[in-house]
Formats: sequence, C-alpha cells, structure tokens
Amino acid sequence: MTTNLMPDDRRSLTLRLGVLQYIVACTFALLAVGFWIFQIGQHEKFREMAENNRLRRLPLPAPRGVLLDRHGKVLVENQSTFNIALVREQTKNIGDVLRIVAFATGVDREQLEDVVNRRRREPSFRPIVLIENASEAQVAAVYARRLELPGVFYQQVPSRKYPASAVGAHLFGYVGEVTEPQLQRADYKDIEPGTIVGQAGLELAYNKQLMGVDGNKVVVVNSVGREIRPLEELPPTTGRPMQLTIDADVQKATEDGFAATGFDGAAVVLDPRNGEVLSFTSRPSFDPNAFTAGIDRSTWSALINDPLKPLQNRALQGTYSPGSTFKMAVGLAGLEEGIITPNFHVYCGGGQTFYGRFFRCHKATGHGSMNLAHAIEQSCDVYFYTVGNMLGVDRINKWATLFGLGVKSGIDLPNELSGLVPSTEWKAKYTREKKWYAGETISVSIGQGQVSVTPVSLAVYTATLANGGTRVTPHLVKAVDDGTGLKPVPAPKPQSQVEVTPEKLQAIREGMWLVVNGGAGTARRAAIPGKDVCGKTGTAQVISLQGRAAARTNRNLRDHGWFTFFAPRDNPEIAGVVFLEHGIHSANAASVARHILETYFAKKEGRPLPPPPTREQMRLDLSDRFARTGAGQH
Amino acid sequence: MFERRLYFHVDWLLLAAILLLAGIGVAMVYSTTYIITPTGGRAAQQVWTQSYALGIGLIALLICLAIDYRVFAEHSLFLYGSLLVLLVFVLLKGQTQMGGQRWIPIGPFHLQPSEFARIGVALMLAMYFGENRRGAKNTSDLVIGGILTGIPLLLIAKQPDLGTAVTLLPVFVGVAFLAGLRLRLLAVLAMAAVLAAPVAWKFALKDYQKSRIVTFMDPEQDPRGAGYQTIQARVTVGSGGLTGKGFRNGTQGQYKFLPVAHNDFIFSVLAEEQGFIGVLTALGLYLFVILRSLEAARLAKDRLGAYLVGGIISGFAFQVIYNVSMSAGLAPVKGITLPLMSYGGSSLIATLAGFGLILNVRMRRFTN
Repeated sequence: MTTNLMPDDRRSLTLRLGVLQYIVACTFALLAVGFWIFQIGQHEKFREMAENNRLRRLPLPAPRGVLLDRHGKVLVENQSTFNIALVREQTKNIGDVLRIVAFATGVDREQLEDVVNRRRREPSFRPIVLIENASEAQVAAVYARRLELPGVFYQQVPSRKYPASAVGAHLFGYVGEVTEPQLQRADYKDIEPGTIVGQAGLELAYNKQLMGVDGNKVVVVNSVGREIRPLEELPPTTGRPMQLTIDADVQKATEDGFAATGFDGAAVVLDPRNGEVLSFTSRPSFDPNAFTAGIDRSTWSALINDPLKPLQNRALQGTYSPGSTFKMAVGLAGLEEGIITPNFHVYCGGGQTFYGRFFRCHKATGHGSMNLAHAIEQSCDVYFYTVGNMLGVDRINKWATLFGLGVKSGIDLPNELSGLVPSTEWKAKYTREKKWYAGETISVSIGQGQVSVTPVSLAVYTATLANGGTRVTPHLVKAVDDGTGLKPVPAPKPQSQVEVTPEKLQAIREGMWLVVNGGAGTARRAAIPGKDVCGKTGTAQVISLQGRAAARTNRNLRDHGWFTFFAPRDNPEIAGVVFLEHGIHSANAASVARHILETYFAKKEGRPLPPPPTREQMRLDLSDRFARTGAGQH
Repeated sequence: MFERRLYFHVDWLLLAAILLLAGIGVAMVYSTTYIITPTGGRAAQQVWTQSYALGIGLIALLICLAIDYRVFAEHSLFLYGSLLVLLVFVLLKGQTQMGGQRWIPIGPFHLQPSEFARIGVALMLAMYFGENRRGAKNTSDLVIGGILTGIPLLLIAKQPDLGTAVTLLPVFVGVAFLAGLRLRLLAVLAMAAVLAAPVAWKFALKDYQKSRIVTFMDPEQDPRGAGYQTIQARVTVGSGGLTGKGFRNGTQGQYKFLPVAHNDFIFSVLAEEQGFIGVLTALGLYLFVILRSLEAARLAKDRLGAYLVGGIISGFAFQVIYNVSMSAGLAPVKGITLPLMSYGGSSLIATLAGFGLILNVRMRRFTN
C-alpha cells in the first residue's frame, strides 16, 4: 500500500524541506539575537528591576535620644508603636486593599486614600505608612486578613513619649513628619520624606543629635509580598541621649505653682553662676504626645485657633512691658553713670510734674523721702522718674542692654524674640516720628512706654544682677552621650561681662532684699527664713498698651504680674522670673516663685519636697486693680 | 515486531538530544517548584510526576518506534476517530481546572487528549496526502485537509484551550507544504488569515485575549494587569545575564514573580538561572532536533513517512519557537508549553511518542 517516492517527488520534497530548514534556522538565529539583546545588552537594567522585585527595604526608624534631667531622671523617652504600611508594587488592586484595611481597622477609607495619594510620586516599592500608632487590635485585624492584603504589613516603630500633663511641652517641643519646606533646606538634604524630625523646642534645636541614624532591614519577598526570609539587617543607631540642665523637681514645682494659681504665663529659672536653666515653663500648654503619632486635623486646628495661643512659647516669644522690674536697670545706670549715689534721696508726694505733665506714683499718698534701696523696696515711681529723667533714655538703654534686656538671651531654643528697650537712635531709625521727647523717658524709667521684654531676657537680667555683672547665656544641655557615656558640654560663653562697681550693685541688691524681707516690701510673700531671697515685683498695664476697645473680655483687661528673684543674697545660686499673664497682682507671681524656691532648697538640703500648693496656700489677690482709677506700678 | 537489524539504524544522536532536553526539563521543573521550608527544602511532587511521565513517555516512544509506521497509518482513521471521541468526551465529562475543561482523570494521572491531537492529525494528514497519487495537490485537497485539521482544532478551542488548538495549524501547513501544495494556495490561505484577523478580533477573541495582545505591544500600559507577565518575563530573562544566577538561584522564578514558571515560562527560568550560555545550549539542542528530524523526512522512503515526520516536527518547531519567544516577552502570552521541558505529563508523553514515530520513519528508510 505504501507509495515510494518517485525521483520528481524526491526533488520537490528535498527542496521544500530545505526551505523549512532554512526558515527554522533563521528563526532560531533571530531568537538568539533577541536573548542576546536582553541578557547582555540590557542586563544591567533588568538585573536592577529583578532586585527591586524581590527585595523589600524596610526602614528601621532610629529611636530618638532620650532626655534626662540634671540628676539623670528620664524626662522624654521612647515607646514602641505599630505602623501599618503598604508597598504598592506588591498590590494588584490598591482600591480593594484600602477598602479591606479600612473595614478591618475602622479607619476612614478616604483618609487612607489621602495618605496614598500624597505619596503617589514616590517609587512604588517604598512602603507607605497607612496607619500610624495602630492599636494592637488593628494590627491583629490586618494580620488576620494578610492573604487578602498582599503588600500590607506592620512594623514596630519607636515613638516619642513625653511627660504627662503637658509638663515642659514648650521646652521639649514636639516631633512630626519632616515638612516640604524643610526638605528644601540644605541641612535637611539627607533626610527622606516621611522621616520624623523635631518641630519645636529642644527636639528642633538639637534634632541632629537626637535623631540618630535609621537602619534598614532587607527582606526577600515573593510576588504577593510575603516575606520569604530576611537578607540583611542594618540596625538603627539610636539618637544621642542628652542630659539637660533642667531639674525635674524644680520644673514640676513651677508647673504646680502655675496650676495652683490658674493663670497662664511663663517662668524661667536658672543658675546665675553659669546660665544653666533649671526650669522653663510656658502656659497654657499642649500635649506633645498628640504630635508623635501624626496630629489629626481637628486637634491641630483647635490648637492654632485657640485664642489663648497654647503653641506660643511665651517664655521667649512673648514680649511684655517689664513694669517695675525695670527699675533696677535705671537705678544701676544712675549709679554707674555717676549721677546718683546709693544715698541719693528723692521726695515722693504721690507724683511729680515733668515737662508740664503730672506723672503719678502708684501710692497716691506718697512715699516721702527715700533712698535707692527703699525706692526699690516700695517701688516708688517718683524716685525712678527723677533718676531716669536725669539719665536720659540712651544711658538707660545702654545699661539695660548690657544686662540683657531688649536683646536675645541666646538660649538654645528656636525662634526667640528680642523685646525692645528704646533709644533715640531706635526712634530715629524705626519710627515715623523720629524725634525722641524727653517726656517719653519718664515712662521708660518705670518700665512702661515702649519697653518690652521676654521672660527669658528678664531672667538673664536678674541673673546678671545676682552674679555681679556676668551676662550668662541660658542653656539647656549639660551633657551629651556620644556612645561612650555622658560627656559634659561646656557652658556657652557669657554674652558679655559688665564692669560694675560691687558696692553700687550691692545697693541694688539691698533694695531687692528689702522687697522680700523689708517691712514695707512688695513681695514679702516670697520670703523664706534663712535664705535671704531677693526679688522685684512688676506690674504691666495691659490697658494702656492695647486700648480698652481692643480688649474683648474682662480677662484681657487685667494687668500682667511679674516677679523676678534670686537667692541667697550673698552667694546666689538660683535666679529667675515668674510671669503671670493677666495675673492681676505681681504678688501672685511671688507666690509661685516661693514654691519654686522652697522646692529648690528642700531638694538641695535633702528635705522632703513641699507638696503641690493648693489655691488657698497661694493666697491669691484677685481684686481687679483696673476697676480702680489711676493704676500705678509697684 | 522488532527486527534486530533495525537497531543499527536508530538515530541515536537525535534520541540523545531529545533525552538531554527532557533531562534539562526535569531539572528546571525541580528548580522552579522546589519547596523552601524553615529547616531547608525539598523537591516538589511535580518533579516526581514529570519523572514518571518521562518514563512512560520513553515506553510510548519505544512502542511508536517498534511498530512499523505504516501500520499506524493503516489505522490512522481509527486513531483519528478515537481522538475525536476523546475530545468530545473531555468536553462533556472532563475535569475542569484553571478555567479549562481539558483533563480525563485516569487513576492518579490526568490525561490531556489535546496534547495527542497533533500526532493524530499528523498521521491522518500524512495518510491522506501521502496516499493521494496525484502529483500536485489542488484546492479540494486543501479543503479536505483543512476540515480534518479543523474538527479537532475547534473541539480543543472549545475547552477552551486556544493555545493548544493553534498548534494544529502548523501541522497542517507543514504537511500540505511538503505535499507540494502550490505556494499560491498557501499564500491565499495566509491572505485569508490576515483578512480574517479584524473579524476574529471583533467576534472571536475574548476581552482578556485582546488585552493580552494590546499589552504585549506596550506592556507598561498596564504593568500590574495584563502587561505583568510580559514585563516579568523580560525581567527574568534579562536579569540572567551571560552566565545566569545559578541553579535554583533565579529570584524571579523562585519567588513567583513569574506565574506558572514550571509550565509556560520554564524557558525564562532557564534563561535566568543558566544565562545566555544556557539559552544558546538549549536553543542549539532544539535546533539540532528539528533539523535532524527534517533530515529524517528527507531520507524517508515514502511520502507517508516524509509527511508524517514533517507534520509532527512542524507542530513541534512552532511550539518551541513560540514558547521561547514568549519566554523572553517577544510574543504575546499564550498557553503554549515548551515541548520536552515544560511540566506536564501528557505533553511530554505525546511529544516522546511523536519522536518515536520520527525515529521510526528514519529507521525504516531502507526497508520495504
């Protein structure tokens, strides 16, 4: 049945088989060329793509350096929280994944979509944190659905933990994701989007040291994002622990004192010998813990829209009229310029006329004849009107500036404002009026008029009076751990060394001692037996600055109260200022200072610390002096 | 049944090349299906299945070698009919897996009749064209041959398994071409196919098939969807480089970035793990097998033998070329396996049986 091939057939078949062989050979050659192009020509490109395919690089965020107080007590530390993150590359349908994640965790789906959209331009293999600070239940819910959620995983991250009750919030500041404008800056060039950095306070000022270096974990994953095995791990380097000059107990005493009065304000307490800040407070405060996990919009807008401005650091950004606390500067200027002696007497009859205008003393019945020390003790306005008038504004400016008023203190916190002590030069340069009128000097002499200071600069001024003329630079860092233990950081150089005659300064101090310990002193409440506390009260009239029409609530009409202090008189080791915003009476500020001083000395001497004061113990004077006419200063 | 003298005429080189390719296939299946466990790893079940299939395939090869191919040809109509019955049976009672109804369970095995269709069709066509005494073939021969090919093709396409169905076309074209069909007719056929393409695009192709073709042209358009496989295939091949990443070290295949790596994309894994050198080696072996088989057709003593070899090897060559192109992302992704290497018992057994016939024709070139 078989049909053998005839010669003709054979020829034709051979020809056609040849054609087939030729086609196949050519096709194979083309295939080989194709593979050559991919495997040799474009090998690098594809090799890299394959690497990104299988490796998931997880950042291991570095814990920030802890903050310790001067005795080693932990103030700010880290805690572990969970983040739920997504690698888009390993997800086929992001919409579905987000829907399931939203359902499982109870987080609003639109919020998740927002997060993903914001990071849309980043490479798709970089993890996006969907939920920060996830609860254990949320982590468990996501883990249970891991098969439906390729590319979704959770990571443990350190986050900041601040003391409860917002203690020291303005001091420590807070942390948050690095912002777009920050990323543009040269000093942030090594920081990747999404990194947590300091955004205020010490966290911002010392961000570089506190931040540490993030680590990396590289894991091999399969195409659905499941981890197959870890490949390499570069552990994070923790930020440097820092020992602060802050004394936790003094800090707490300050906050407790404020809490007992119910007033807002600021306080700065330092060691006048070297500028170490012992406590630093601004109120109202906020909870920096709210920022660590990414602050939500409503909390944020509540903070920035609060009329009390809780985010403002009043201690270095609030500029207020110093009131009578300014009088020491005027007195010292008079002494040093040789215009008066400590025994220089002025008669106060309740007021005096200068340049055709009557300037009243806060004591309408008059103080009688007084020398410098008693003028400070009783805060006689007429005395300082007289001295200031004899000095002229420029010499007042010179001495006030030498002692640290109207200039920045140089404290190691961001965004300090400088305040103002006017001068003829200042007026010529910065105002429309240009010419200084001698009558203006009279108001300046008692710390009113254009004079404005920040609490921190007033603290420096007080410290300079206390230590004999060294304008120390307030600072907050005592030691830094560079990995081999805490290494002391040398104190910053004093801003200036003022040449003052000790006897002349002693007259000022004598007055300040009398303020607290004298029979007619204005701050006897601050006296502590055996400690020779020196101080000065000051009241800043709000109404004359802002005008009654601008003041909306009764609270806003009340005077600010100041109390500056140092102790002990002969060898001062603590100095500071308490500022009560709308605190009505400066004596109320003295009550807060007393608690601070009592705590400081009790701790130093190993006695039990005084308990937080009650409102009754504060013996607050709440009679609103504005209700009376003719408010003065004392 | 088996004459001793025939032993000397077996093409041992061809057989060796085939076995080498099948051996590489088992190794690659081992590599791509290897199971990693916390304590180490072990070979997957697929490796054993493939090894058993290789054994059964060799038996099938021996059977197809031992019986004179003319005996097969005499029973071609019966074999062809049985094939159609099986294909219909699959459609009615077959096992459904991965969206296709292709398997008949026989004990622990799953028989996939469509894989044997190429042999059945090649035998039928060789018989039809080979026993036709007229020198030149005319249009009616083409039509009849087309119908003989078209029936099983449609039955397989209906499973649906368009990939396997399409592999019947080169069998038909190969046999018809060798049978001396006028080139003009083939040109008309090709023209018709081109003209039919837009119609097929509109009516015959499913959306997913269209998107595969569109994304093949521009895979970046849908990198997570239909373009995914094409991109991953290129990455897999390209990342292999000259010498490859080493056995079982290919990350693309090992970590499942490439879907069904042990099946349709086994050549990609070979390219990734053995590099360009491995690719050239495998391509060389395949080319040798194809050219050597075409040589067997040339040496065949009768038209039946020549056409039978031509049909079988045309289907084989088409499959190899298409799969290899696809493996490098040079052709749209389609369910066409790489003969001798891809995981799949029926495919391996059918392919080896086919080579049994090819060796058979060459071995009996002197007998009469």
